Amino acid sequence: MSLELQLLLLVWGTLVGLDLVSVPQAMIARPIVAGPIAGAILGDIGTGLQLGVLFELFQYDILPMGATRYPEYGPATVAAVSAAHAAAGTLGLGLGALVGLITGMVGGLSLHAVRQLNTRAVRRAAVALEAGDPRVLERLHAASILRDGLRAAVVTALGLALAQVARAYLAGTLPPHGIALLNVAAVGSALAAGAAGTLRLVGRGPSLRWFAAGVVGGTIVAFLR
Amino acid sequence: MSRPSTGTRPRLGRSLLRLFTVQGSWNYERMQGVGIGVAEEPLLRDLRGDATDNGVAYRAAVARGAHFFNAHPYLCGLAVGAAARAEHDGVPPDQIERLRTALCGPLGSLGDRLVWAGWLPFTSGLALIAVALGLGLSAILTFVVVYNVGHVALRWWALRAGWTYGAQVAQALRQPVLQRATALSGPAMALVVGAALPLVAQHLSSAFFGWARVALAAVVAGGFALLWWQRARLTGVRLGLAMLAVAALVGWLWP
Repeated sequence: MSLELQLLLLVWGTLVGLDLVSVPQAMIARPIVAGPIAGAILGDIGTGLQLGVLFELFQYDILPMGATRYPEYGPATVAAVSAAHAAAGTLGLGLGALVGLITGMVGGLSLHAVRQLNTRAVRRAAVALEAGDPRVLERLHAASILRDGLRAAVVTALGLALAQVARAYLAGTLPPHGIALLNVAAVGSALAAGAAGTLRLVGRGPSLRWFAAGVVGGTIVAFLR
Repeated sequence: MSRPSTGTRPRLGRSLLRLFTVQGSWNYERMQGVGIGVAEEPLLRDLRGDATDNGVAYRAAVARGAHFFNAHPYLCGLAVGAAARAEHDGVPPDQIERLRTALCGPLGSLGDRLVWAGWLPFTSGLALIAVALGLGLSAILTFVVVYNVGHVALRWWALRAGWTYGAQVAQALRQPVLQRATALSGPAMALVVGAALPLVAQHLSSAFFGWARVALAAVVAGGFALLWWQRARLTGVRLGLAMLAVAALVGWLWP
């Protein structure tokens, strides 16, 4: 993969990472968006769509409420697509999932670290904030956004580096049935996470009946196709 | 009391733009407070012009705006508009602080139900269905546009409603359209995501044959049971990594 493409993925991953919390929360951080666009950058929309769908299912396991800690799947999906694209044959999905899940965990930890740095910065500026100095307020806010941008860039860069390492050392070491097993594990755990997360969201109230109706309808359409 | 100047629309626009960054300085002490203060500041500039107090009212209002706040990011505008309007209307400072505190819970709960557990999974579920049916990149672009029409409309409505109602902002939260949207979003989300799951399962498993399909069914059933019964300890990312590790080990040992 050329350096230009890696840089484009880095820029896209950074934008995606910024979108999750800081600016503008337009949901380009959702894997279903981050993956296909990463695929389009690499000229491989199919892989991007596959991994976008896979990580979107993992995303259903998360509700980003308040101070909860959660994995960050946006830059993770970009790294996953990078890993899967260059892995020849059917290894893509499993290898991409492995790289993406590790990157997602790192992303989640980095969010917590940035929030702690923001807390320290706010404490340092407490006197000026209580005095109502608008310039200090705006500088503090802008610095925090820059910090998050840097965080997103570092997470994406780590993910892309991990993708390179995975391609170099894992691709080719597994026999064909091992590759199939890896793909089965990736798809199976994503479907399990998506179903469990959605059911938690739906709860036991009246929406459960609508969920059941949806599952029946979706199954019929899948059967008829 | 200082009535806002007539040209408030550009200031509301500036405040709206800043609201898109409201969580940029999220921290464990004031949570969204700093972002709220930054978004409110353009609406407070009229207070600066009051020559009698040398800008004291403006600075006090800016300081109050940056105090602790936490709610759903798309609905923060309601608190920003309401607090700014209350500052102009000469509402006592402790009452403005109480108003902000009182808005945290309802705005958080409403936004979580309406957006995080409603509009977002509903539109993303539609995108998943469209991809599974083969619509490709156009489905993704449609998702981004449709989702953000609702997103931007909600942010703009929240800011306008807060600015219109001021300290009486609770009236805005009782609007029938909002109540109906909240009531409908849960069932609509459940129906769409329920329909998406089997279609996505078919789409992702289309490359598997024979024993791999049986193994996939076992992984889904086992994984779902583990996530459901061990929900306090097990997350999707941990399950995924554990399954991949087991698969790699078995695949490597398999003769």
